[in-house]
Amino acid sequence: MATRRDVQDIMGLGGADTPKTSIQKRPKAAAPQKKLLGVNREVAALYGERPPPVAIYEQKKTYRAKRQNAGPAKKWIQQPFSNPARSDGLILKHWRRKPGPRLNPENGEDVIMEDVENQDPQVETEYEFAKYNVQVEVPSYTDEEYEAHLRSYDWSREETEYLLQMVKEYYYRWPLIYDRYDFRPSTTPSEPSSSAGGDTTTNNIKPDIDAPGTEDTPSKSLAMLPFVPPATRTIEDLKKRYYTLSATLMKLHTPETAMNPAEYSLYETLNSYDPEREAARKRLAVALMNRSADEINEEQWLLAELQRINMSATKLDTERAELRDRLEAPVPNPALAGGLAQFQTSQALAALFAQLFQQDRSKKRQSGSGRLSLSATDIIGTPTSAHHANNAQHLSGSSSNRKTSLAQPGGGSNLSQHPTRNLPPQLEHRFNVSTHDRLTSGISFGSDKLQKLRQAKSNVQTQKIAAVLAQLGFPEIMPIPTARVAGAFEGLVGRVGKLLDVRKVREKEEGELRILEAMKGKRAGDEGGPGGGEGDTEDKGVKVEVGEEGEGTQNDNENENGDGDGADNDNDEGGEDDDGDGDDDADADDGEEDADGDGENDDNDIDDDVEGEEVEGEGAEADSESARQPSEAMSSRTGTAAPSASASASHKRSASVLSGVSNKSNKRVKK
Amino acid sequence: MNIPNASTVPNPNEYAGDEVSAIVLDPGYSTTRAGFAGEDVPKSVIPTYYGVLDSESGSEYLFGENAIHNPLRNLEIKNPWSTDGIVENWETATRVWEYAITSRLTGAKQTDPIKNGLNDPLNGDPDVEMEGLDDAEKPLTDSPLLMTEPGWSSTKAREKYIEIAMEDWGTPAFYLGKTGVLAAFAAGKASGIVIDIGASMTSVTPVIDGMVLKKGVQKSPLAGNFVSNQIRLIFNQSQPQIPLTPHYVVSSKTPVDAGVPSQAIYKTFEIPPTASFRRNEEERVLTEFKESVVETWAGPGRFSNGTNEELAKATPGRPFEMPDGWNQVFGVERFKAVEGLFDASAALFDAENPRPKDEQTIPRLVQAAMQHVDVDQRPAILAHVIVTGGSSLLYKFNERLNSELQAMFPAPRIRLIAPGNVVERKYGAWIGGSILASLGSFHQLWISKKEYEEHGPSIVEKRCK
Ligand SMILES: Nc1ncnc2c1ncn2[C@@H]1O[C@H](COP(=O)(O)OP(=O)(O)O)[C@@H](O)[C@H]1O
Ligand SMILES: [Mg+2]
Repeated sequence: MATRRDVQDIMGLGGADTPKTSIQKRPKAAAPQKKLLGVNREVAALYGERPPPVAIYEQKKTYRAKRQNAGPAKKWIQQPFSNPARSDGLILKHWRRKPGPRLNPENGEDVIMEDVENQDPQVETEYEFAKYNVQVEVPSYTDEEYEAHLRSYDWSREETEYLLQMVKEYYYRWPLIYDRYDFRPSTTPSEPSSSAGGDTTTNNIKPDIDAPGTEDTPSKSLAMLPFVPPATRTIEDLKKRYYTLSATLMKLHTPETAMNPAEYSLYETLNSYDPEREAARKRLAVALMNRSADEINEEQWLLAELQRINMSATKLDTERAELRDRLEAPVPNPALAGGLAQFQTSQALAALFAQLFQQDRSKKRQSGSGRLSLSATDIIGTPTSAHHANNAQHLSGSSSNRKTSLAQPGGGSNLSQHPTRNLPPQLEHRFNVSTHDRLTSGISFGSDKLQKLRQAKSNVQTQKIAAVLAQLGFPEIMPIPTARVAGAFEGLVGRVGKLLDVRKVREKEEGELRILEAMKGKRAGDEGGPGGGEGDTEDKGVKVEVGEEGEGTQNDNENENGDGDGADNDNDEGGEDDDGDGDDDADADDGEEDADGDGENDDNDIDDDVEGEEVEGEGAEADSESARQPSEAMSSRTGTAAPSASASASHKRSASVLSGVSNKSNKRVKK
Repeated sequence: MNIPNASTVPNPNEYAGDEVSAIVLDPGYSTTRAGFAGEDVPKSVIPTYYGVLDSESGSEYLFGENAIHNPLRNLEIKNPWSTDGIVENWETATRVWEYAITSRLTGAKQTDPIKNGLNDPLNGDPDVEMEGLDDAEKPLTDSPLLMTEPGWSSTKAREKYIEIAMEDWGTPAFYLGKTGVLAAFAAGKASGIVIDIGASMTSVTPVIDGMVLKKGVQKSPLAGNFVSNQIRLIFNQSQPQIPLTPHYVVSSKTPVDAGVPSQAIYKTFEIPPTASFRRNEEERVLTEFKESVVETWAGPGRFSNGTNEELAKATPGRPFEMPDGWNQVFGVERFKAVEGLFDASAALFDAENPRPKDEQTIPRLVQAAMQHVDVDQRPAILAHVIVTGGSSLLYKFNERLNSELQAMFPAPRIRLIAPGNVVERKYGAWIGGSILASLGSFHQLWISKKEYEEHGPSIVEKRCK
């Protein structure tokens, strides 16, 4: 495309002889000038920032399309036309291409045509814009209908008709109808000719212009009725009257049952118009509009504040949800198509770990802090992305970071020997970081470890512990198992176990005591004399031992449980335990009623049977033997005697007896 | 390649136009505008002021820009409008309007070439002699006429308009449009509130669906002429008094320093021209002053509020030179001339110019007009605040108006529509009329001669709603 400059070059106009560089700069320099072409810069500067008092139109220098030489000039005529939308046959003229066989561009013909042009052209009777002459329809009614259904106390028929006419004239634009509404009853003698002559004359003209004057004649009699039209009608009054009238007529012409859905909904709308409510709504709207700037600012401020609060609430919610997801159910890692299912075996986990470790190493990532998003910092601070969480759930071992929380103790920290950083004790405390000298190698789930704490050797015991924990209000899964929390929990579970054991032993001893006393009573009743004396002493001995054993059993139980904690530890705590957990114990007893009942009812029958046998069927010897057994068992605890098969058997039996007793005692309590 | 130009037919889909060579006449207090419908600028803009030369043989009327600025003795300059926006002298008004139409639009074709304004010698004494026209053919027999009227014109006035058009001018079809509605059309809106600040009248017109809310129309005399009078008061009250010298008294001038009395050679007249002539000439200087010096305090708040006056003092002044060479830089006083439009208590006044009433200020007019608008329509109306009229060109006027309206209606969104183009602002009503009268669907609304003859002038009330 040839630009202007090219043309200037060709034609040797300005710029052709100036050096190239200046030409290139030109457009920039010309830009501000472009605003006012043909005005001296100095003159233009005088205008300043105000618009000039006369409009300045710049002379466009752009090229116009070249005129096409399409034969001789086309002929145009002033074509007269009449508008079918008009009733008076007004003829106006507009410019139209001259019609006819003038496609032949011969000069001779044109000359001939010019003569024809001087004749009057035909008047067009079609008019393309006539189709926009759309009239609205308003309901119409007969005299009978009006009399029977449409009469109203505060609307005369004359005014009703005036209203209908206004609606028609202003095309349902109610604000305009209301604005122009100016009804004057024709019966009033004061027809002002001087002022507002237009209104009265309009009334006179009406029948003439609006062809059908039929409505007016019969209404005269009604108009004479002494209606006192209210001084002003509100827009609601007008609408109400019109809508009721329309609805009534609609119903008259089409019964409600025969209306189609559209008609019926219109009918409903018309009927449900409530001027009172509409007026009330408008009052409210006005009040809303008339609020002061302060009120609006306040409202805006409040809305902004509300939004802010809502936003931070949802943010908090999502953060919490994320945290919960991370702690409860590991989200399936999108990177691992099979989800977690394939990592359920330890081999698979080990393989995965090896693979990831390999990846890590190949990336030469020195500090994989992202792997440890379950570490305390993350829990306290902002949670990182779910992806990190996933990784942390799968493995924590690949990290070179040695700082891991107790909740996440499994880690292959042996892989890299240098700890990145040691926090001072206060900070460690504050951020809940714990440092471990030695960690077990391999992969394990942190949640497993937590779960393990709750499990005792036997199912019954586990259930009992769970019941106690439930009683204490512990959730199934600890929300934030930090090192400290886990430690405290561990201690608590230990104590619960101890308490359960102590109670078990106590109940056992009590049961034995009762048996012995029953035996003694029997003997005293049967024989009297020296046998009773023996029994007495034995009993005493037992009693004393039982009293002593109160503390000892704890130790034993500990050892049996084999938790691996130091024995001295427990001894130290022994006293505290008894003091501190007195309440817990009582609570636990109450709470266990159900659990015990459920768990041991099966045994109950057997125990009772055994008891019955012992008491009634077996001889006194057997009884005495059994009575002696606890003492043996106790002595064995001191480490001297080896446990015998009979001893274990009797222990079992007595234990079952005990439980039977405990059941009975429970039942007693219930009663 | 067929680029549309002036000689190609417009594509019928482009606009619903159909031009029937209608003439649009927009008579204002300061100027009368006339032109063909469909054009974007009125071809004929003449001052509404006319000259009367009284002599023994009777009165001679002079029309047109060239005639009324000629300092003839006994030349009285008059205006057919009363200062409250109603035509006072119908006879001369008709002649002024007719001159506006015939001098540029139809004249050459209809009247004797000697008698129309086109062929008058450039500095000939009278522009045209209208006497001969009575027996000439009527000037508008070929063109439908659309005239504008202010929103408050009475039924009587409206009937007078159609009588003039039909009987004096012989137009085949006539329509009367309200300036407010037409200015809204010119802005491309069918609904809105039109604030028209002309020469003698400021009007506020709520328009809904192309029709005026009659009860809402507000008017006040605080407009261009009021600002001119404020400037006069400023000149008179300043120390020393500022001399207001019209052009015609100056024969030659020499440059002087600011504030120093002028050293000009003045013309001498045996019998000095009349006071009305001088006043009209002074008005020209004042309009120049309004255009180049006067400034509106842009807000927020009134000029008298708080430190606003101090802030205004800090802005650089604006220089003005009288025709006789006297000149001065106008500082803070340039804000005072317009302030009365917004704040009646800030208006200067004296015995001749009483203090305006509070409810005459523009913000109060808008408020009063909005009272008559149904609350459901108010937000839509306030979203289209159309500003038109020559005096709305006052510097920073729209900024101030906007800030006043925002303060008054804090809740709904307010949008000012004011064309930046000077012509569109001054001739808003005419342009709207030009658009309307060139629409194909409009032609069914004309009141035809036949209808007029059938129903008489009262038909205008019925048809031009
Ligand atoms: N640029 C301008 N700045 C200030 N006022 C102006 C400007 N141009 C015109 N005017 C004023 O506007 C008024 C004319 O406005 P106009 O809308 O034509 O009035 P009208 O319709 O009554 O004839 C005059 O008073 C004139 O002084
Ligand atoms: Mg005007």
